[in-house]
Amino acid sequence: MSADTTPPEEPAAEGTGDAARAGDDPRPASYYHLARAVLYREYLIFVRYPANAIGGIVVSLFFFAALFLGGQLLAGQALTDSIEGIVVGYFLWTLSVGAYSSVSNDIGSEVQWGTLERHITTPFGFAPVALLKGVAKVVRTFITSAVILAAMLVITGTRLSLAPVTVVVVAGLSIVSVLGLGFAAGGVTVLYKRIGNWLNLLQFGFVALISAPVFDLPWTRVLPLAHGSAMLQRAMVDGVRLWEFPLVDLALLVVVAVGYLFGGYLVFQFATARARRLGVLGDY
Amino acid sequence: MARSATSARGGPRERDETNAARGEESPADRSGPPALSVDGLTKRFGEGDEAVTAVDDVSLTVERGSVVGLLGPNGAGKTTLIKCALGIVIPDAGSVRVFGNDVRDGRRAAYADVDAMLEGARNDYWRLTVRENLRYFATISGVDPDSVAARHDRLLDRLDLADKADTPVRDLSRGMKQKVSLASVLAGGAELVFLDEPTLGLDVESARTLRAELRRLAVEEGLTIVVSSHDMTTIEAVCDRVVMLSNGRIVADDSVEALLGAADRDAVRVASPDLNAETVAGVRESFEIVDVDREARPPTVTVAAGGDRLYDLTDALRAAGVTVSDIRTVQPDLEEVFLERTGTAPDAPSGGDRR
Repeated sequence: MSADTTPPEEPAAEGTGDAARAGDDPRPASYYHLARAVLYREYLIFVRYPANAIGGIVVSLFFFAALFLGGQLLAGQALTDSIEGIVVGYFLWTLSVGAYSSVSNDIGSEVQWGTLERHITTPFGFAPVALLKGVAKVVRTFITSAVILAAMLVITGTRLSLAPVTVVVVAGLSIVSVLGLGFAAGGVTVLYKRIGNWLNLLQFGFVALISAPVFDLPWTRVLPLAHGSAMLQRAMVDGVRLWEFPLVDLALLVVVAVGYLFGGYLVFQFATARARRLGVLGDY
Repeated sequence: MARSATSARGGPRERDETNAARGEESPADRSGPPALSVDGLTKRFGEGDEAVTAVDDVSLTVERGSVVGLLGPNGAGKTTLIKCALGIVIPDAGSVRVFGNDVRDGRRAAYADVDAMLEGARNDYWRLTVRENLRYFATISGVDPDSVAARHDRLLDRLDLADKADTPVRDLSRGMKQKVSLASVLAGGAELVFLDEPTLGLDVESARTLRAELRRLAVEEGLTIVVSSHDMTTIEAVCDRVVMLSNGRIVADDSVEALLGAADRDAVRVASPDLNAETVAGVRESFEIVDVDREARPPTVTVAAGGDRLYDLTDALRAAGVTVSDIRTVQPDLEEVFLERTGTAPDAPSGGDRR
């Protein structure tokens, strides 16, 4: 036996433990506490490491500037005519990429850190934790994308209708579908770690979804982003307010959002269940 | 939430009530189902010829308040056993109950009382401070962090982290990070805690501190701890009872004292350049030889020679012309016990099996 062993018979260090324990009255955490903890963590990391967010904003703006200035050289007046549409599309794209990559990368990092299984083995169950994390990512993405949008409007000298409720609801619901894709990608990453990086390429596919020809090919509306993108164009370019949209359009927006989120979560569930059978969950 | 939350609160409070009696109380006296009950657990990985049985029909009960060590080489099945108990690996057969809750059925209820520090995992957020981690993981394990603020202070005090409470974990030394990881596991008031190789990668000093603190926490907080390690020192220093695993099976399960007692044989190890086949054969005529190591420099022979037999041995050695360069009594340790029972050293990886 080594010298550092404290025999079990020895009384607790001079009773300090028992005194302190008096102030110890564990109460169960509610969903409110859970929400506060998850959102607060996202907030802390956001304010403590602003370089990540600022870096993202700078890169996005750089690409946009290249697109805009380059496009002006090539297309001239034609581009200027459609610039509003491009700004709105780019805004939605930065939102989508932010939501998607933050969720899928987050799951990847948590696997590496060994924190994912602590969220899976929580008495709350993983679903509410994941949902709250998703909400936190969406809020965060909205903040950075708002900065990008403002800068784009200044750079291009464009004016758009920015009715906050309409924009947030339509854009928010549009990217909820992408959140679902993020969960699915995260689930696949849990199973096949190397594929995770390739799935990041998916975000370029969002460009196609955002510019999907929903009028010529109505079925594309059920794809993620497509229908929401069309609605966002109308809201921001034509100034249509949320309550002015046909109910069918709004309903479809919600159905697509919930459908993909739920589907993505199912993929994640399936992937983690399989990972548990294969024993690859919590392998570092 | 009600079910698991009740479970999360019931635990620590129950423990408080029994605190007064602690010390005299033996683990078996505690009421209720055992902290951990594993029955016929089997887990295979892979398929066909490449299939590896990581855990092979293991049954095991851990009483409340005890500190049990899982000892075995890498690949013996320790980590798989722990992951099955946590429900992050699903077994092929058998069941795991945590405080009476089946891990497979009522997982959420079971999770309120159990947490783990897994090998090689950071387990916490390096970009948050120490205290933020404790609060976050307390919440995740179903406990309102404000209600256990005092416990967190005490934990930080115990682990010598109090003045680092507001430092981001990434700025701490490796030993401290390990302690934060441990603290974050204990933050939610889990009563059953699995620690997988808790001292792995720590320097001698940090490992020693952590061992001492583990032992103290176990006693003071009345925790049930299952420690897996291939490191004998950790197991000997921390555990009441040792379960030895080899190739997925339990090869020994007893108290540290009993295991060491069984190996006790009053042996002495003699080292001398004069030890060769002939002189060893001479010694063997009148003594029981436990072990011969011809590869050692100089060669050694371990002889059962308790009490006065030692004088006879030295006489015999002198008569055989063996000049002794070193002689020492052999203290039995868990490593030898393990070697005896399995034929392999506990820190050697067992063949082919990774887990």
